[in-house]
Amino acid sequence: MEKRVGGFKKNKKAQVTIFVIIAIMIIVVGILIYMFYPKIKTDTNPELKNPQVFIQTCIEDEIKNSVEKLSLQGGSSEPTNYVVYENEKIDYICFTEEFYKTCTMQQPLLKKHIESEIETGIKEKVNECFDDLKTSYEEENYEVDLGRGEIDVELLPKRISATFNYSLTLTKDSTEKFKSFKVVLNNNLYELVSIANSILKWEALYGDADITIYMDLYRDLKVEKILKTDGTAIYILTDRNNQNKFQFASRSLIWPSGYGFY
Amino acid sequence: MIKKILTFAVIFLFGILAINFIFAQSVSYCCEKTIEGVWCMDSPQEKCETRDVCEGEKCKSHPTSCESTSYCKLGCCYDSHSGECSPNTPQKTCNVEGGVWENNAKCEIPQCEIGCCILPNQAFPQTLTACKRISAVSGVQTNFRSDIKNEFECMATVTSDIIGACVFEKEFEKTCRLLTQKECKEMESISENSDVSFHPGYLCSAEKLGTICGPSEQTTCVEGKEEVYFLDTCGNLANIYDSSKIDKKEYWSRIYTKSESCKSDSSNANSATCGNCNYDQGSTCKTYSRVEGDAKPRYGDNICRDLSCEYNGDPYQHGEKWCAFEDEENKGVDDNIPGSRHFVLECRDGEINVIPCEDKRAQVCMEIDVVPDFMNAACVVNKWQTCTAQNNSKDCLNTDKGDCDWIEYEGKDAPKIEKCIPKYAPGLDLEGDTASKEATEVCSAGAITCIVKYEKALFGKWKCKKNCHCLEPEWKQEMNQICTSLGDCGVDVNYLNDKGYHIITDLWN
Repeated sequence: MEKRVGGFKKNKKAQVTIFVIIAIMIIVVGILIYMFYPKIKTDTNPELKNPQVFIQTCIEDEIKNSVEKLSLQGGSSEPTNYVVYENEKIDYICFTEEFYKTCTMQQPLLKKHIESEIETGIKEKVNECFDDLKTSYEEENYEVDLGRGEIDVELLPKRISATFNYSLTLTKDSTEKFKSFKVVLNNNLYELVSIANSILKWEALYGDADITIYMDLYRDLKVEKILKTDGTAIYILTDRNNQNKFQFASRSLIWPSGYGFY
Repeated sequence: MIKKILTFAVIFLFGILAINFIFAQSVSYCCEKTIEGVWCMDSPQEKCETRDVCEGEKCKSHPTSCESTSYCKLGCCYDSHSGECSPNTPQKTCNVEGGVWENNAKCEIPQCEIGCCILPNQAFPQTLTACKRISAVSGVQTNFRSDIKNEFECMATVTSDIIGACVFEKEFEKTCRLLTQKECKEMESISENSDVSFHPGYLCSAEKLGTICGPSEQTTCVEGKEEVYFLDTCGNLANIYDSSKIDKKEYWSRIYTKSESCKSDSSNANSATCGNCNYDQGSTCKTYSRVEGDAKPRYGDNICRDLSCEYNGDPYQHGEKWCAFEDEENKGVDDNIPGSRHFVLECRDGEINVIPCEDKRAQVCMEIDVVPDFMNAACVVNKWQTCTAQNNSKDCLNTDKGDCDWIEYEGKDAPKIEKCIPKYAPGLDLEGDTASKEATEVCSAGAITCIVKYEKALFGKWKCKKNCHCLEPEWKQEMNQICTSLGDCGVDVNYLNDKGYHIITDLWN
């Protein structure tokens, strides 16, 4: 009986030793895998794996805000000749002060102008984002070479594309090179600006535009025209699907009160 | 002699100064840019910008109209890169924006010729350059139809690629997606998919394809389409919702066209059984809502919503337009009293849109009966200016000449009054010196002087002898009405029913 108890004790000791050895082996293997297969190392910031994703996340909101602001102000960040409507300064894209005359285009090439306004509006944030990206990689012991270039924003059907011609070279164990970065935003500003251009063409050539034609053509579009007492027409284009707006002002072919002799 | 010459010189000098003074007061300048930032405006000289803010140069101004200057000549501004064109653009404004300026204000130049740019599932009017650019960035070949100038025709060219069931194996299951042939081909490149095959015209729920997708009671609305669609168990679109065909295998096998689907000649608004909505006839797919008054669909959560409207208790069809009549919201429009304005109302997508006509009744609303039981209306120019110049009813009522009314008044013992007055009294600008001068001139056409002669009777009582009709309240009222019909003249209330500064007796004191 005693012998049995002593044998049991001996077996238990041996078992614990085996478990300790196995545990040490698991830890050693773990360390070896971690050292020799850097690919399975977890990054502190998953976005750092892909600088493209980092830039997209960083800049997207800035582009959205810039587009929203410009859309409510007739495409200009700082309108100079404007009408105030519901606390928004809306730029006159086509304007005349004279009676019986159609308006003169104040902001030709509207699409191009908006693209350039977005570029200016996001420039600071873009530099900030690239600086953050550089710092983040440097903290991960990367050697970073960042070359700053042009920003190119383009309004396209159903989207806004922003290309940053910033080159980035990351060197650690190997070297990765990025020539440029692209951020694409789902937005139909292109469509709204095209319709605005068509309305403006009517305003400039004939002095007025029939808004119902546009609603007949584009079923998801709501066009509102607010006429002020001085003859100013404020057009508000709204996409019924996502409530995206573009509003602008025009003053064309003004008829005087009375006979207009004075 | 010297004295004479000196006197002449002083007079001459004074004359020149006086002319200069008058000239400076009245001549307007063409400002390349005004201090308010407006390009090319005829304005007084003090309003012209003089700083170096015109493309880095000093802004120009000349005592002439902008039409006669080179820097403010209107032309066409286009961007050779994007193909964007802007008419009526001053040369300098175009240069500032980096555009190319052409001496053609209407943009009737080959670079700005509009055609129809066709992209997959999209078509819109564009210039050739713009179309090339968009096609290039969209990765498709340019399809530009220069023969299509009409926007409606262009939109109608949108053609979808043939769609069908794209069957493939994924994670040991035979599944399916409703795609175009091109999209299905792309599925092959995804490593986890195998045995990809395309079956044009078939639905994923077709039994013969043997996929895991089958019929369901779910429905959906699709962006850009008006009908309610069935969904299969894999979430793919199936045919147009028709409750009578939910168990019909054939209806879940091949793609049915709109005309093959239920009640294709009707709007199916609020139909619980058929989802073949028709936007032009006044219905479109929407999520069922009891608040909106929708009928509960037999299957699914979507319905053909009725897009008609109700205004002041009267029903209006989707697309109908009518003139806003006088009510609590729109006061004074029937009598065109000061401050009132005409509006066109339009029923669209179940909402009433308000389209204002030009203020001060420069435009008035006209209803046009084109199609029976379908009202149409528009803002048209109020041609009132020539009315008071007409002296016979024929010319007065000639609608080509103006919007006028011929009135005849013959009171008791009063001479007959015949007058041509505006049908819709115009609003007048009453603010500012020149404006009130104008208003006085318009209103003066309604002025009438009536001298009443009295004679003292034997016992000292005065008795009216001549023009006694002018003392009658009826006549006074009639004269005031003529006056108010000319514009914002005479004694009247405004559209809010507020009285003016005078009462009617002020007119004959």
